[in-house]
Amino acid sequence: MNWPDLSMGGHGFYIWGAYAFSFIAIVWELVSLSQRKKALTEQQRQSSDNVPASVLRGSTNETTS
Amino acid sequence: MNLYKYASPAMFYPLAGKMIPWFSTAAAILFAAGLFIGFFIAPPDFQQGEVYRIIFIHVPAAWMGMFLYVLMAIYAGIGWAFNARLASMMASSLAITGAMFTAISLVTGAFWGKPTWGTWWVWDARMTSTLILMFLYIGFISLQASIDDPRKADRAGAVLALVGVINVPIIYFSVQWWNTLHQGATIRILQKPTIRGSMLAALLIMLAACWLYSVAVVLIRLRCIILEREQNAARFAEVGV
Repeated sequence: MNWPDLSMGGHGFYIWGAYAFSFIAIVWELVSLSQRKKALTEQQRQSSDNVPASVLRGSTNETTS
Repeated sequence: MNLYKYASPAMFYPLAGKMIPWFSTAAAILFAAGLFIGFFIAPPDFQQGEVYRIIFIHVPAAWMGMFLYVLMAIYAGIGWAFNARLASMMASSLAITGAMFTAISLVTGAFWGKPTWGTWWVWDARMTSTLILMFLYIGFISLQASIDDPRKADRAGAVLALVGVINVPIIYFSVQWWNTLHQGATIRILQKPTIRGSMLAALLIMLAACWLYSVAVVLIRLRCIILEREQNAARFAEVGV
């Protein structure tokens, strides 16, 4: 095992730049996915808290009739 | 109310849930192993010195960009031809991960091109066709996002995905068909690879890691899509539309 030289023979900017971008892209995908998941469970919780639509529909029917 | 049981791809949903932790853990381990071998064990390249180490992310990302596109087109085609909703949802889920890997391959390629060719970008066959792949992914994702009815969006996306699949062999053979600045294939199926054992090991392990990562992320997103669509359907049903 050789400990790599961080300057990478003068090419450090390119190598670390490439890996930094890849890392950011993967983290972006994971974060946006977990946000999507969170929004979904939030929505689900809210919809189950709401008054059922059938009840609402019944009430609007009463007002219109 | 538990919406899970109302998902019609209901059998798949819990199965995917069980698979995700295995794939994510394996992906994390292989990413770590691949990078360790790539940076600590693989020797510098005799021509390019250290900068070739970009290969360990660049090549797997470029392969994934192409594989995932073909997979996306197959699923989209199955979803369209057999009216299989789960297959169409799978195609939508694959698109974003495929686009991400294609973006990685383009950007890491630019970072590799600058020190070795002296330029971030040239309009050569392989790079241009890979850029078109990126646009196809973006087109697929935005087309689907612009259509409200999910089944119509699936069909429109399928047409685009299937027409665009012609681009994948063009990317793959571009280095043979045209005179290009891009180097030829590093690993060939019928011939000996052109790199050393530890380099090859790092490359293949990174490729496996990218595959496992893709499976995990695509399944997580697929589960989201299943729930989102079922929720929308349930909401419409409740309102009586």
